[in-house]
Amino acid sequence: MKLPQRPTRLAGLLAAGVALSIVGGAQFARAEVAPLDLVAPVTDYKIYVSAATKKLVADTKAFTDAVKAGDLKKAQALFGPTRMHYEQIEPIAELFDDLDKAIDSRADDHDKKEDDDGFTGFHRLEYGLFEKKSTDGLSPTADKLQTDVEELAKRIKDLTFPPEKVVGGAAALMEEVAKTKISGEEDRYSHTDLYDFQANFDGSKKIFDLFKPLIEKNDKTFVKKVDGNFTTVAKTLGKYKTANGYESYEKLTDADRKVLAASVNTLAEDLSTLRGKLGLN
Amino acid sequence: MSTRKAPPLSLSPDRRSLLLAGGALAGALSAGAPQRALAQSDSSNVTNAPISEKQQQRNPFYGAHQAGIVTPRPEFGMIATFDVIASSPPDLVRLFRTLTTRFALLTQGWTPPEADPRLPPPDSGLLGPVVEPDNLTATLSVGSSMFDERFGLEKVKPAVLTRMTSFKNDSLDPALCHGDLSLQFSSNSADANIHALRDILKSLPDLLVLRWKQEGYVPALPAKPGQPPESARNFLGFRDGSANPHAGDPAVMNEIVWVQPGSKEPAWAVGGTYQAVRIIRNFVERWDRTPLGEQERIIGRKKPSGAPFDGKTEADVPDFAADPKGKITPMDAHIRLANPRTPETRANLILRRPFNYSNGVSKSGQLEMGLLFIAYQADLEKGFIAVQHRLDGEPLEEYINPIGGGFFYTLPGARDDQDFLGRSMLEAAGIALS
Repeated sequence: MKLPQRPTRLAGLLAAGVALSIVGGAQFARAEVAPLDLVAPVTDYKIYVSAATKKLVADTKAFTDAVKAGDLKKAQALFGPTRMHYEQIEPIAELFDDLDKAIDSRADDHDKKEDDDGFTGFHRLEYGLFEKKSTDGLSPTADKLQTDVEELAKRIKDLTFPPEKVVGGAAALMEEVAKTKISGEEDRYSHTDLYDFQANFDGSKKIFDLFKPLIEKNDKTFVKKVDGNFTTVAKTLGKYKTANGYESYEKLTDADRKVLAASVNTLAEDLSTLRGKLGLN
Repeated sequence: MSTRKAPPLSLSPDRRSLLLAGGALAGALSAGAPQRALAQSDSSNVTNAPISEKQQQRNPFYGAHQAGIVTPRPEFGMIATFDVIASSPPDLVRLFRTLTTRFALLTQGWTPPEADPRLPPPDSGLLGPVVEPDNLTATLSVGSSMFDERFGLEKVKPAVLTRMTSFKNDSLDPALCHGDLSLQFSSNSADANIHALRDILKSLPDLLVLRWKQEGYVPALPAKPGQPPESARNFLGFRDGSANPHAGDPAVMNEIVWVQPGSKEPAWAVGGTYQAVRIIRNFVERWDRTPLGEQERIIGRKKPSGAPFDGKTEADVPDFAADPKGKITPMDAHIRLANPRTPETRANLILRRPFNYSNGVSKSGQLEMGLLFIAYQADLEKGFIAVQHRLDGEPLEEYINPIGGGFFYTLPGARDDQDFLGRSMLEAAGIALS
């Protein structure tokens, strides 16, 4: 869903949205979670997002500084880890459609693909650093990226977190992985997709863990199944951990890619019920 | 699809619209909605759903053999293949049991439970709140990779099941080949097949990962009373399937299609059959620029009627013995190579059940279309593989290029609601069923 881009108006609308969606009719009997029970985990999630955003701003600074200094090796090394903080908080970050496009769009999203002036952000720098293997001409894009993530941090600070977006984010992150990451399309020049995978799973699991206590008493089987799939993912990704991060996506074996695909699809199916289980529309 | 005859063209517009309105009214009344019949009798809305009177057509699901093989081919077909992610014997049992349960529901028709608006609906809703059978068959087959070291099935592999290898004229795309499982759906509508596929994807996300799929269809023809049925035409414009063995004759099917007791196949496989799938691209632009006579010589049949060169109708059997030098039918004509009609080549007969496919445009701006070839036989080596080797080098190769597919073993049928597809195979492998 696209939301208005002005943070102040957005916050107001979202606040209203929260009220409406929680009051929504309960035609089907289920163990309702009281709206007040959601306050603590949503607050905790905001703390998590704030910390990640802070890291995103700092790490992007180091990354863009390396690009501007012409330090190709360093910039390449920082690309994967820097993005992780963005990928962790994607359910919130993508609420700001203009920034999401500026920071994280892929060449496919633009008419002229890599040559499009509107193609900016992480993937434009990735294209220069890994495909062209050069920092030449990337400084303006680096500056713009830094400005954009700082603007993102400011907007997130002012944002009232909508519970249904927070809870729905657990599944949304898995849908992202299922849609473009399982194929290696996301980081096609650098093949650092496994960093993104890890970050998306971290972000999804964080949400699940925060709301788990509200579901656990009524739905032990569900919680066990979801935990099991997160464990499978952690084990599979663990095989590709290196001293400083993750192996290239190209090293992912076909068998492990399928295991990840099945886990992601199952997590997406199961987590798609999370909003409903928590009484959110 | 409707059996209702179109009104003659000479009808006045007034009378014509009256007739059409009457038809819609009658339809609404028979559906048991007299109160709203008048309001809904507006037949002028261009987005009114096309009328089908065949949604209730139903094929029995349980039996010694699976449906979808000797079942008359409906208009729409699909092959979808999957990789299996199962890490334990109970996973395998759940996989086959769940597939069987879903197949039974989907092919017999059912009403999905009422949805809780706060949760994703249990059914895609693609076919409406009631899932009509619409002539759907769902057919489950296993690839040779199912018998590798992953699942403990190594010892029960069908005798001649292999991984498809490239034939002379093939340009196989690995992304369109093989699979642990093949699911064939065929029905009266593309939507019924897609609905079934989406149901399976939703039912088993942790055990199945979709590998490739190809949809296809064949054109429906008007009934011609008093005349023998015709084979549907492929995208080369020729009737395809003319010499198919008679699927309605159980003795013929037992000889050609169904694996029999006492054969070289393991006992669990009795009642099953081998499935050969090929995605065969047709270069239709070039074909359409080829003289008619040459087209006919390449295929070995007359294009309008489908008759062999020494016959009058499609059903006539060519007498190749009387034409040993190929003066009537060239020795390298497709039908002559595929089925030379000698006593020795009777062992190579196969049952074909193909669909045409059309997938957009190639990078060169040519049509991406061709034949989703599906054939069944009791012996894969003597059947499809032998036939394809005879065809290697045929003149038709200039116009076709196989790009995908795979070999599979179609499991014996589920006998009743206590049984499930794959049970005999798992039992033979010593896998506990509960």
